[in-house]
Amino acid sequence: MLQLLEIRERVKRFYQRYDLYLLPIIKFVFALTAFSTINKQIGYDVRLNRLPIVLGISLLSAFTPSAIMVLLATAVSILHVYFISPILSIIVIAILMILYLLFARYTPKQGYVLLAVPILFILKIPYVIPILLGVVSTPISIVSTGCGVIIYFLFQIIKTAVTMQSNVSIDDIIQLYTHVIDSLKGNRQMIMTIVIFAMIIMVTYFVRKLSIDYAFEISILAGALTGILGFLISYLVLSRSDQILSMIFGFIVSTVLVYIIHFFRLTLDYSGVEHAQFEDDVYYYYVKAIPKVTVTVPQVNVKRFNVKSGGRREFSDPDMEDTDAGVDEYEYEDDTES
Amino acid sequence: MLNFKKIRLMTKLAVYEKKDGKEDIHLSKYYKTDYVRFQVLKSIITASIGYALIIALIAFYKIEYLIKNAVTLDYKLIGTYILAFYLITITIYGAGALVLYSMKYDGSRKKLSRYFKLLKRLKKVYNESTHES
Repeated sequence: MLQLLEIRERVKRFYQRYDLYLLPIIKFVFALTAFSTINKQIGYDVRLNRLPIVLGISLLSAFTPSAIMVLLATAVSILHVYFISPILSIIVIAILMILYLLFARYTPKQGYVLLAVPILFILKIPYVIPILLGVVSTPISIVSTGCGVIIYFLFQIIKTAVTMQSNVSIDDIIQLYTHVIDSLKGNRQMIMTIVIFAMIIMVTYFVRKLSIDYAFEISILAGALTGILGFLISYLVLSRSDQILSMIFGFIVSTVLVYIIHFFRLTLDYSGVEHAQFEDDVYYYYVKAIPKVTVTVPQVNVKRFNVKSGGRREFSDPDMEDTDAGVDEYEYEDDTES
Repeated sequence: MLNFKKIRLMTKLAVYEKKDGKEDIHLSKYYKTDYVRFQVLKSIITASIGYALIIALIAFYKIEYLIKNAVTLDYKLIGTYILAFYLITITIYGAGALVLYSMKYDGSRKKLSRYFKLLKRLKKVYNESTHES
């Protein structure tokens, strides 16, 4: 254990020193994996499969916010489908629009989940997402996970639908469309997957919230066990027992991955170096702020802060503050409100 | 000469402004009622578009049946059904948005009050430094 902590400390220090370069590299690797998986699965349009293009869009997503990567991945997938069948691409766009308008727009910070779930499904370890979200997020992430699952199954259906398209008469279009909707609507495996993922998130979340020792570790295990049991039952019901072995293996890999992420998470979360720029009357400042605390200390800080802040008086205070050059612009409206 | 106390405060403020603060400060430009109402309206509109898309998908799915029975269909009943489900949908989305965005606004005010506290302290430091010089 001591050695592990030492490694963690070393990783932390490395991350602190090079985070400016490390973050884009990590994002680049993620983007490259995502785009090449998409290309491998539904790479109908050869032009988008070329290495320079894949590298180019991965590079672009490395330096832009994660929402851009999700958007690019959606665009690439739709273009691939459009290349082989415009009708199918319209169906895909319509369903994605519905998912976004009715569900995904309420969890704007979890857009990456929509991309990660299908990609990890193809890599056989989608279970990372619900367990991880149970550990780091709230049950509201069920929404985005569910959308991700639907997107994965939608593209699986598109893959089979592509083969049955022959020509473009109205009858064929309707037949194609009915096939897609039928297989989406009657997809019991998809519905069960959504339910089980939701259960994993709930179980992990609530066990993590319990005030017991090792709540995090136990919650990860509890989530994984819930998932294994759920999928065992669902596979037996759907008589797909051939997938059980790969499912259990996937769960083991996922659990280990989540453990590793959890092991480094607190450290990396709090030790991110901040680069700030500001000025006063005399100087321009370019500050690199490096937290000097280790894992446990920030938590103590948070506690002390709550005690000191003195509760309600402070919260109502900003409305009545005296005039001040810096504060003025935020307070003006408050004054008129009261 | 560099005033390190001031720099420390300004760094904290700048880091906050760069991260969570961006959204909080943006929110603080609205009254709560205005902000929540705007968000509820947006939710209702997007929910309406989503609902219309779903209806269109269902209609296209049943198109053969619809065309075959175009004359005998009870349009009044279908219209009532569509309207009823529409009302249910937008009520759920409107109410949900009301709760969600009110909570979000209150949360951001809390974080902002911390920001104002730091600003106040910075002002004090500024006053001290101008008195000295």
